[in-house]
Amino acid sequence: MRYPRNVAGRILLYVAILFSLIAMLFPIGWMLSTAFKPASEVFAFPPTWIPANPTFEAFRGAITGPLARFFLNSFIVAAGTTLLATFSGALAAYALSRFPFRGSQSLLLFFLASLAFPLPLLMISMYMMFAQLRLLNSFWALIIGHTVITLPIVVWLLKSFFDTLPREVEEAAYIDGAGPFHTLIRIVFPMSRPGLAASSIFIFVTSWNEFMFGLTFTSSNELRPLPAGISLVFLQEFQYRWPEMMAVATIATIPILALFLFFQRQFIQGLTVGAVKG
Amino acid sequence: MILNKRARFVFVSFLLLPSVLLVAVFIIYPLANGVRLSFTNASPLRPLTRYIGLENYIKLLSDSTFWEVLYNSVLIIGVSTALSLVVGFLLALALNTGLRGTWVFRTAIFQVWVVPWIAATILWGWLFNSEYGIINYTLQQTGLTAEPLSWLARPALAQLVMILGFVWRTIPFMMVVSLAALQGIPQELLEAAAIDGASYLKRLRFVTIPLVRNVLLTVGLLQAVRMFQEITMPWVLTQGGPVNATTTLSLHAYKLAFQRWEFGLSSAVGTLWLVFLLVFAVIYMKLLVRERE
Repeated sequence: MRYPRNVAGRILLYVAILFSLIAMLFPIGWMLSTAFKPASEVFAFPPTWIPANPTFEAFRGAITGPLARFFLNSFIVAAGTTLLATFSGALAAYALSRFPFRGSQSLLLFFLASLAFPLPLLMISMYMMFAQLRLLNSFWALIIGHTVITLPIVVWLLKSFFDTLPREVEEAAYIDGAGPFHTLIRIVFPMSRPGLAASSIFIFVTSWNEFMFGLTFTSSNELRPLPAGISLVFLQEFQYRWPEMMAVATIATIPILALFLFFQRQFIQGLTVGAVKG
Repeated sequence: MILNKRARFVFVSFLLLPSVLLVAVFIIYPLANGVRLSFTNASPLRPLTRYIGLENYIKLLSDSTFWEVLYNSVLIIGVSTALSLVVGFLLALALNTGLRGTWVFRTAIFQVWVVPWIAATILWGWLFNSEYGIINYTLQQTGLTAEPLSWLARPALAQLVMILGFVWRTIPFMMVVSLAALQGIPQELLEAAAIDGASYLKRLRFVTIPLVRNVLLTVGLLQAVRMFQEITMPWVLTQGGPVNATTTLSLHAYKLAFQRWEFGLSSAVGTLWLVFLLVFAVIYMKLLVRERE
């Protein structure tokens, strides 16, 4: 009923949609195309979209360096952050959803506001603290930093998720004599899998993406996550070797894209609950 | 719930403890300490830190760089947020018509949202490469420009490159949120308007947009606030240049703190940023209250 009823209108709409799709995906297409080109073809004139002699050479060149190490570091940091932020965020969100108290609304607003706080300002004191605690150049500095920037969203997202869960199940558990901890772990968390999945993906993606903390709080290749590592090592090493650079970009994108494709549905649901309500 | 007061207090405290601890130590303390540092000459390169009053602020506010940076940030982030909001909303409208197969399109576009900033940044450097970039090639082939444009060397062009990057990365998010907002509109309203003879554009203007406006403005605002923190693209692509054209407020504060190690001066930038946020929030609240009345 809602779409344009005449054929011309429908065709026009499809054309517009197709055009925007091409415009949006063209950069990614060009990245892949370049990554599979031999060095000689990159500067070919006119440029080719489908490589004439596709090759994995660039990928081989890219992974011989410390890229694998950066990759692993990013994974460790993102996984650690996901655990810490989900754990602390879920507990707080549950309290705010089920046991509202005086000031809980303000606390929630404070969480939201903290997203706007200037990160460089926060980082200065964090840097000084980490230096004193000898946590600089450790995964902990990054995990804590990434937790701080994701926690507010996690609390918001999970609070709105818990709000949608029926309370009756928990009340029944209490009547059966279950304690609050038991109820939370055995009953509420299992029911919350979609919400927890959405927030975990959000945290993982954010941590994988984060640049400033990685750049500042690590100083050795053994600990650098991907974004900082790429910018500090590869951009110098691979200057003007575009296939290698595009291969690096592709490698940095793939795991997160795979994760996302897999969990997309939950994620969009979780995200829009939080975003539209908030 | 059926917990007595004491048990409830213990339980809620336990639940809130980890988050409150994290927030207190790593957000509230750094914030307060940062404001304090802005009145000092703190630097890891100086053995002694002393209070210097308003010197940092005077230095900043009398320096044209700070105002340039402020103007450039507002320009880059304002334009890119507005643009991505409009395009995202238009895409959502097209997707919300109930045409077949649009989910493929939605899924494909949404993937752009997870392309890591660092990957997008390298990619942007290649697309807008002045000698071999595909953008310059296309522009020249179609006769739009005679000479290749040196995108990253000219201030206005470098800003445009940043804006396009920010827009590209943000459109998918805006599209998904707009779509959710559109789907929240009761169908009866639109149908009633259609029966009354309102054309598509009229329905859009008088029913759809007024209903989703506030949600979208809020989301746009949140996105802009988040964009103020983003430094990957300007840092890697242009190092904030040419002549500060792509230095955003966060990049400026970051460079002062961790390149020149002027913690005090950088804290002053951060504190001013906080003040701007506060002023902005107050104005926004006032407007919101007035609208409700």
